This record gives sequence, structure tokens and C-alpha cells, in this order.
Amino acid sequence: MNKLLSGVVIVLVLIGLVVGAKIYLGPKKIQINVQMARSKGNPEARVKIVEFIDFQCPACAFGVKYLKTFFEKHPNDMYIQVKYFPLTNMHHHAMVSALYSECAARQGKFWALDDLMIPQQSQWAQLISPEPVFQAMAEQAGLNIDQLNTCLASDDARKVINDEKSFGQSLGIASTPTYFINGKMVVGTKSLQVELKTYFPGS
Amino acid sequence: MWAILRIIIGSIFLVSGLGKLLSPYQNFLYVVQAYQLLPSWGEVLTAQVFPWIELLVGFLVLTGLWTSWGLRGALILFGVFVVVLGQALIRGLQLESCGCFGSWVHLKPQTVIIMDSASLLLTCALLCKISQAKKFSLDAFFD
Repeated sequence: MNKLLSGVVIVLVLIGLVVGAKIYLGPKKIQINVQMARSKGNPEARVKIVEFIDFQCPACAFGVKYLKTFFEKHPNDMYIQVKYFPLTNMHHHAMVSALYSECAARQGKFWALDDLMIPQQSQWAQLISPEPVFQAMAEQAGLNIDQLNTCLASDDARKVINDEKSFGQSLGIASTPTYFINGKMVVGTKSLQVELKTYFPGS
Repeated sequence: MWAILRIIIGSIFLVSGLGKLLSPYQNFLYVVQAYQLLPSWGEVLTAQVFPWIELLVGFLVLTGLWTSWGLRGALILFGVFVVVLGQALIRGLQLESCGCFGSWVHLKPQTVIIMDSASLLLTCALLCKISQAKKFSLDAFFD
């Protein structure tokens, strides 16, 4: 048998198999639920962003601050929604910070707590137990503490977080922060900045 | 023994390439960006092309098709990994994971640079013992 011909055929079959697997296992399309408490902005905006974040991830904190500044400049042109993707194998407080955020969202205070939690990430991330800090932040954000503690003790909030993480994995997410800008997947803050500049040149 | 080593080296590249290719390319782009070594266009090009090179090299080494070319490719790739990881460690870049195996396996850069250096030496040894490395290979079948 001709080695060159056979080799080329084998390599082409391999490439075809991988391309086929890539298409077959390809990520699902993301849908935006505009009713969600973890959203802000104009639901009819031309730029819709879904961000999957881990509250203990430093790059996510940078992304949240960057998006906040951007949003303040273009409040009517943007719609932002946060989803949970706690990297529990890397960050010890990823789940508990997400739980506090979810329980705050149920009281309509997600953004108020987010505004306290994210800027102080580098401090609470180093604590053995950040819960006293989160409780103080929750009070400062105006949460009902009894309702908060009931929510934290329930399995329901944890299930929402785990379900969102599983959904994120089905979309092909492997790391945080991952954004979907008008459905296009963008990973990391460098790509976020590049992508946003295509929608808002000069910003 | 040399044939087994060849199969192990080939499998490493095949798994690594597949892990990246079956995940959205943006995940590997994020890994490439973390090394802060290339201009933006180079990062995108690397994220799109590099996993295919790994897959091809892995396949050639694993199956033993054009073994010596596959091993030379593996040698270059291991050399590139050692240089890229080394510069990241020297510059003190904060890398939580090397990103070497896509989303399948997370290894610290310090661990991987040792593994890559050892694999580089093994690949050199395989090239020196190429006739024994070609046992149980497609080259042995065709030649």
C-alpha cells in the first residue's frame, strides 16, 4: 500500500472525526430571562451581556468593575445579567459568596450587596471564614437578616447556583469570567474590552 | 519499552489537543492571553491553530505514522512549552492553572514545567532510539 496516500487519508479522517465531534458536542445557545433579579439596564438594549462569574475570582472582580463603569456611561444601550459559576475547587469562598448573592437577589438587593462584596474581594478572600464580613455587608446593604439566614440555611439557593453552573458547563464554560455578548462567547476581561469596543468605538 | 514511551508521549498530545478542540476556542484564547507573550492577533491565531498542531503531532507519535517527523514536532512543542512556562514563572505571572489540557485537567505551571522538561528529554531519547521506538507502529506496517 502507498504509505503517503494512506497516511494522508488517515489524517483527513481524524480531522473529519474531530470536526464532527466539535459540531455534535457544540455548545447550546444562551437565552436571556429578562425577569431575573440579577439583571440591570434596558431589556431592549442593543448590547445584552450575560456574565458567568465566581465572586472570589480576581479577574471577575476586575470585569464587574469594568462593566459597571461602562454601564454608567451607556445605561440605555446595555443590559447586564449575572449568573453563577463558582469555581469551588479553586476558591474556598466561591460557594458561600454566591449563596449570599443569591439570597440578596431574592430580597431585590443583589446589586447593593455586589457593590460591597466585589470591591472588598481581596480582603475577604484571605479570611478563613468570611461569613461575619458578609453578614455586616448584608446589613449595610439593607437586607432583612432573618430572611437572609433562612435563605442561607435552605437548599434552594444552593440548587439555583449549582444548576446555573451546570448550565454554564453545557455552554462550554471552563473558566471565569465568561461573558455572552449578544450571544457571542467571550472569555476573560481582555476579550471583553476588545468586544465592547466593537459596539462602542471610542469608549 | 521505547514503543510504550512513544505511545505515552503521543497520548499526552492527543488528549491535550482534543481537550482544547472540543471546548470553545475562547477558553484556550483566555489561557494564551494569560501568558502575555503575543500581540492580540497572535493570541487569536495561536488559540485557533495550536490545538490542531498538538492533535496532529499526538496522532503521528501515537500511531507511529512518520514517527521521526512526529517526534521532531513533539520535541519542538515541548521546547516551546518549557520556554513559555519558564518566562511566565520568571516574570511572576499569576497563573492558577497552566491551561495545558483544556478544561479536562488543571495542573500548576511549576508541576508542568518539570513534566515538560522530562518529556523533552524522553523525546530526545526516543529520536536516538528511533528504530526501537517504531515497534508496533504504522511505519513498521508500511515500510
